[in-house]
Amino acid sequence: MASNEDGSIGSSLHGVTGREQVFSFSVEDGPSSQPIRTNDPTAKFALPVDSEHRAKVFKPLSFAKPHMRAFHLGWISFFTCFISTFAAAPLVPVIRDNLDLTKTDIGNAGVASVSGAIFSRLAMGAVCDLLGARYGTAFSLLLSAPAVFSMSFVADAGSYLAVRFMIGFCLATFVSCQYWTSVMFTGKIIGLVNGCAGGWGDMGGGVTQLLMPMVFHVIKLAGATPFTAWRFAFFIPGILQIIMGILVLTLGQDLPDGNLSTLQKSGQVSKDKFSKVFWFAVKNYRTWIMFVLYGFSMGVELTINNVISGYFYDRFNLTLHTAGIVAASFGMANFFARPFGGYASDVAARLFGMRGRLWTLWILQTVGALFCVWLGRASTLPIAILAMMLFSIGTQAACGALFGVAPFVSRRSLGLISGLTGAGGNFGSGVTQLLFFSSSRFSTAEGLSLMGVMAVVCTIPVAFIHFPQWGSMFLRPSQHEERSKEEHYYGGEWTEEEKSLGLHEGSIKFAENSRSERGRKAVLADIPTPEMGTPAHV
Amino acid sequence: MAIHNILFASLLICLLIQSSHGATKERLFSDLEKSALEVTATPSRVGEVLAAGIDKLSITWKVSSTATKEPEFKAIKVKLCYAPASQVDRPWRKTENELFKDKSCPHKISSWSYDPAVKTAQSFDYTLERDIPTGTYFVRTYAVDAKDHEVAFGQSTNENKTTNLFSVQAISGRHKSLDIASVCFSVFSVLALFVFFVNEKRKAKIEQSK
Repeated sequence: MASNEDGSIGSSLHGVTGREQVFSFSVEDGPSSQPIRTNDPTAKFALPVDSEHRAKVFKPLSFAKPHMRAFHLGWISFFTCFISTFAAAPLVPVIRDNLDLTKTDIGNAGVASVSGAIFSRLAMGAVCDLLGARYGTAFSLLLSAPAVFSMSFVADAGSYLAVRFMIGFCLATFVSCQYWTSVMFTGKIIGLVNGCAGGWGDMGGGVTQLLMPMVFHVIKLAGATPFTAWRFAFFIPGILQIIMGILVLTLGQDLPDGNLSTLQKSGQVSKDKFSKVFWFAVKNYRTWIMFVLYGFSMGVELTINNVISGYFYDRFNLTLHTAGIVAASFGMANFFARPFGGYASDVAARLFGMRGRLWTLWILQTVGALFCVWLGRASTLPIAILAMMLFSIGTQAACGALFGVAPFVSRRSLGLISGLTGAGGNFGSGVTQLLFFSSSRFSTAEGLSLMGVMAVVCTIPVAFIHFPQWGSMFLRPSQHEERSKEEHYYGGEWTEEEKSLGLHEGSIKFAENSRSERGRKAVLADIPTPEMGTPAHV
Repeated sequence: MAIHNILFASLLICLLIQSSHGATKERLFSDLEKSALEVTATPSRVGEVLAAGIDKLSITWKVSSTATKEPEFKAIKVKLCYAPASQVDRPWRKTENELFKDKSCPHKISSWSYDPAVKTAQSFDYTLERDIPTGTYFVRTYAVDAKDHEVAFGQSTNENKTTNLFSVQAISGRHKSLDIASVCFSVFSVLALFVFFVNEKRKAKIEQSK
């Protein structure tokens, strides 16, 4: 009879517990005249998929269900939220006169606008893991829309700060968007996909610098005084949020196989425990390094969104309109800069594996920060604009590169880690605004240069991110038999008890698919998935 | 690493170019002739805070007999300026000696072409515009030459800007109709989410019971 060794014929117990992930057919089938290939569950997808049904190909011009549709709904929702959060920034020269604000008031409101999202991004990670990305996005959009509309009521510095704080909560859509794309697209292209979703969403910070002055101008032409026109202008982002919220709920789908609540109720996706998800996210030191890193790439970007329009308006005596255009080009660079960062990360991974991704991240972020130093020191407009553009490309590409690494830090706590990293971005922005742009101690120009220096220093921790199976910037991967396997790293997030119940199957599948992070060596290695944890006999 | 070096070198070169760029001589406020014009500004309600859009200022200006640059005057520009109290912690209203940088007098009241034959005091009423922010103000009059360059000025307060100041309260900019629209949209937003959520929970329960 077959021996009891692992891997021998007859010893596999796949399917015994009945809790293993089973692929279902979607409820809405095509017309029955189509040939039904019942043995190939991947046939119903418009794009080629991997074993987890995540798309292997990225087609930005397609709206096919469910992958590309999720991508577009995700990034546009995020884009809308960026518009709302930074809608006040280009109008500050008018708002500061209406509400009699001081520089300190404006700085504090800027800090408040990004601080709310620290908490909402954390919460969103958990919401996505537990309720699905669709509801995460919809909650964010539809519950923060009232805050956007309440700009009509604001009468002084205190209420202005409170409203900006509440609007800022909607930046949690970043997490739901990245989570959504991470469950819909496979690891090899995740850098590019996340980069596009994140970058095109971030563009909202640039578009708002153009949109809001334009809307303000049109409303003024219609006869309103400036102090009323700016309040009315906020209705535009608010209405956009409502529209997107409804679209997400009606057109979107949580997972490739269906919506989360449906899949959970039919037993196909096991419900995970929040405490476990939280613990494994928090225990992983890499989460915290990502927190700091993102704080000084995205954090710097968020700060600039708040500060740059006013900087060009005041320092170079531009009109509100022109300052808006210059400031917008910072945010608009996101269209290609962040995807480029994600793509560069993917290319580096193909050649050098995870080590390539880490080096790409460090280079892009440091170069971006150096250009930020230059921006603060530029005293003529053309040089300032050049420095700003180079700075924007470096920093935004770094954001994209970072989210090429993030999906690999954990599989079990993916949502929460996206949330924590995202929160780190906002935290970094709050810190930099508080330190450098909220008091009259530094001029805005000095603040920019100092922020750049701080960003260079805070990018150094990349060197400490080490994966035993893939290595780090300066260290090679572990040579240890067990630790050098991806399964060991991802399996380590589950207890033995959970493994015996087969709950870790998703992570094992992910581990297999992540072998591409070995770089060129992945092609050479032909490692079969070892049976991890399932006992040889019951 | 080579890329790093090139970038750093270009950074240094650009910084050097900037610092060696000589500054052109800018027109300074301190070069203008002081007190060439005698200006008084009387608010319609003395001793009270004026309401923007409603209250008026009665402004009188006259060329002083001691004005030496009088032959150059071509036009008179009257402006509303911030008193020091309204400039605290507000760098966008800062007083600078270089005229093109000075931001302390952004609000134009009116502009008059100068007629040397008329020697008497000119006066007019000015209703405070609805976009005047809350603050403390005084009135300054610049006399400009044919090139539209300021040559002299006079102001309604003393040199330290402590006397004859008046306070203005801006309009709030709020409107009842705006408030109502805001509430309606907000309620719709929350309601929409709630309806969708409840609906889907119900559908999922039906699925499960099948």
